Amino acid sequence: MTALLNFMEGSGNPKMPASQPWPEDVILYQQYQVEQITLPDYSQCLAVEAFLRMSGLLFRVEQRTNAADMSPTGKVPFIQVGSQLIAEFEPVAAFVASKGFGLSKDLPEESVAEMRAYISMLDNILSNAEHYVAWLVPEVVAEVTKPRYGCAYPWPLNWLLPWLRQREVRNFLTVKDWASKSLEEVVAEVKTCFRALSEKLGKNKYFLGTSPTELDAVVFGHLYTLQMTKLPGSPFCAVTKEYENLINFTKRIESTFFF
Amino acid sequence: MQTNQPCKTGLDFLFCIEIQQFIITKLLSDQAVAAPPSGIINDSQPTGIKTTSTPSAKKDDNVVKLDIDKLPVRVQRIVVDGLTRTKDDIVIKEIKPLLNAKTFDELVHLSYNAKVKMERLGLFKNVVIAIDVSKDNKEYGYEVLFEVQEFRRVDGGIHTSISNNDGSLDFQLKMPNILGRGERFSLDYTVGTKRTHGYSAYFKKPLNNNPDIFLGSTAYQFHGEYPWSGYKQTDRGVAFDLTFPTILGSHNIQWEGVWRDLRALARDTSFSVREQAGHSLKSSLKHTFTIDTRDDPILPTVGVLWRTSQEYAGLGGNVEFAKQDGMFQWNTSLPLDAIFQMSLAGGLMRTLDPNTSVSISDRFFLGGPLTLRGFNLKGCGPHSYDNALGGESYWLAAAHLYSPLPFRPGKGRFGELFKTHLFLNAGNLGNLDFNNLSTSFQDFAASLRWSFGCGVVLCMGRIARLELNYVVPMRVQKGDKANPGLQFGIGIQFL
Repeated sequence: MTALLNFMEGSGNPKMPASQPWPEDVILYQQYQVEQITLPDYSQCLAVEAFLRMSGLLFRVEQRTNAADMSPTGKVPFIQVGSQLIAEFEPVAAFVASKGFGLSKDLPEESVAEMRAYISMLDNILSNAEHYVAWLVPEVVAEVTKPRYGCAYPWPLNWLLPWLRQREVRNFLTVKDWASKSLEEVVAEVKTCFRALSEKLGKNKYFLGTSPTELDAVVFGHLYTLQMTKLPGSPFCAVTKEYENLINFTKRIESTFFF
Repeated sequence: MQTNQPCKTGLDFLFCIEIQQFIITKLLSDQAVAAPPSGIINDSQPTGIKTTSTPSAKKDDNVVKLDIDKLPVRVQRIVVDGLTRTKDDIVIKEIKPLLNAKTFDELVHLSYNAKVKMERLGLFKNVVIAIDVSKDNKEYGYEVLFEVQEFRRVDGGIHTSISNNDGSLDFQLKMPNILGRGERFSLDYTVGTKRTHGYSAYFKKPLNNNPDIFLGSTAYQFHGEYPWSGYKQTDRGVAFDLTFPTILGSHNIQWEGVWRDLRALARDTSFSVREQAGHSLKSSLKHTFTIDTRDDPILPTVGVLWRTSQEYAGLGGNVEFAKQDGMFQWNTSLPLDAIFQMSLAGGLMRTLDPNTSVSISDRFFLGGPLTLRGFNLKGCGPHSYDNALGGESYWLAAAHLYSPLPFRPGKGRFGELFKTHLFLNAGNLGNLDFNNLSTSFQDFAASLRWSFGCGVVLCMGRIARLELNYVVPMRVQKGDKANPGLQFGIGIQFL
């Protein structure tokens, strides 16, 4: 959060030095998208990718089976700029802003505060829900998450490592008081979150103003992942279909920035 | 097996003591004898016995002087006293040959051999042999008493061990002879100075009652940090091995399955190292062949060490390579207590999976105060931002001339632990291109590193070797971390 804070302060400061040239060879590392990546990691990677694309910055994506192990924080995605490595959404956004390319540098201060509030809500609810569904719903774990997480490893690591990861996620969710929730409760939380987002978006193109911001990138990462990933039992199917403006939003972002 | 105490009275008792003394003196004078004499006894031996038994004869005039060597013997009874958990069958197997003893000399040899073998098998801490005339007064009837002392069921210890420029404290809990047939189980916890720590459990079982042939199995977890390469690694593994001697040397065949978790050590770890982070599973078969005729592993004066190993990784797991490593050391004594030592080492490895290269944790490294002196630890060869990347092949040669300290202070005492030496080291580390061998061999020869110097070597028991040298690196390649001038090294492996 400190990184985000710094970046907010930086972006709010009109005396910031003029933008430096964007480094040439920026690489975004993530796991293999088709075979390997798990639901919560995928939404994080998509958010960072969308953010970089929205900022109009050049980069290339490199897929590595050990991307999370390579990352300085142990989480994907991370970008490599020269010898620097920056992992996760907020530090990446801060880094980009420090180079003078931030998406929210022209936003008024109250919008920045609002954006922060929404991003923190999304982090609390949607990524917890993604972790919950991916690692605590038995049929999803058995049919999707564990095989994908273990696909890069030989036996017996292909069952040992997913099992260790599941234990880790369960502890993480227990601390956040999410592990004891039922799937219905989780879906209800997601629904609340979606309703808030849908109301905030209304008929606008983007969440804040007329151009995309960090919030749009984060929302896109989560929404796209939840809408497009086919899971056994499709727990989020009904919820995602309920809010048409959100569906159109992801479609629009996808077609504007990804193709 | 009878375990009751034989009664010892009168003359029998004295005789028994006399024989025990005889055995002890005889053994001291004749330790080289390993195999029982086959039947006929040499003429020279009786004279030896007379002399050894005379001093004790002075003490007591009642002692019956006999030419006991040629004394015919019929062993009637063998008593082993002190057995608790050792199994009968293994002891019977060891002492059965005694029943075939024809002469007293043979009986003594066989008894001694049985004692040594049972001690080497790890059955007993101590074995005392008493040979007595048989109580039922049959002609030439004897009985043999083995008073054995078993190990404690559980024993513990704390000791220090030294690997290259790293000391560690080892806590050990061992259970010798745990199942009664020389099996040994131990649990170890080791903690090192460089944030290394590990646990291991080890089980060893001699096969076919032979202490030189044994099966070993181990399960371990070890965490090590490798600052010269900027990574840390946690190894969790199991290994099974078989050790057996041949006429030439000792063989060891090992299978090892190890799960390795490699992580970057710091934020500034080079990306070339960082991108190798993650989990890998190595399942490998390794054969090691050793001949060691040296008189001391740390400061030998004579003898040869030859050690080669072949490792094949790729029986399952996701690490595939073939590796060949070897070393040779030759020592010879020169006039004026000087010693000349020459060592050669070299290794070669090759990935068997064309899509990957050999991981940094399997590669060869070169340099250090006990190997290629004049360079930092693992300071030779390819580097990326201060992190040594290692190589897939290396060679190393060293020549030493050792001599005692000038003016010989502490001669015959602590002074013998010190030696001065002049040395010359040369070596190289790199990657061979197998498609273009002749050019890469030329490059390999052209880019060699060498250094020379002199210094003092201290031998710390059989644990470690300590060197303080003044070194002059003569050829240094780009990227190497040379360390000219004074260099201090401690460790057990050296060249």
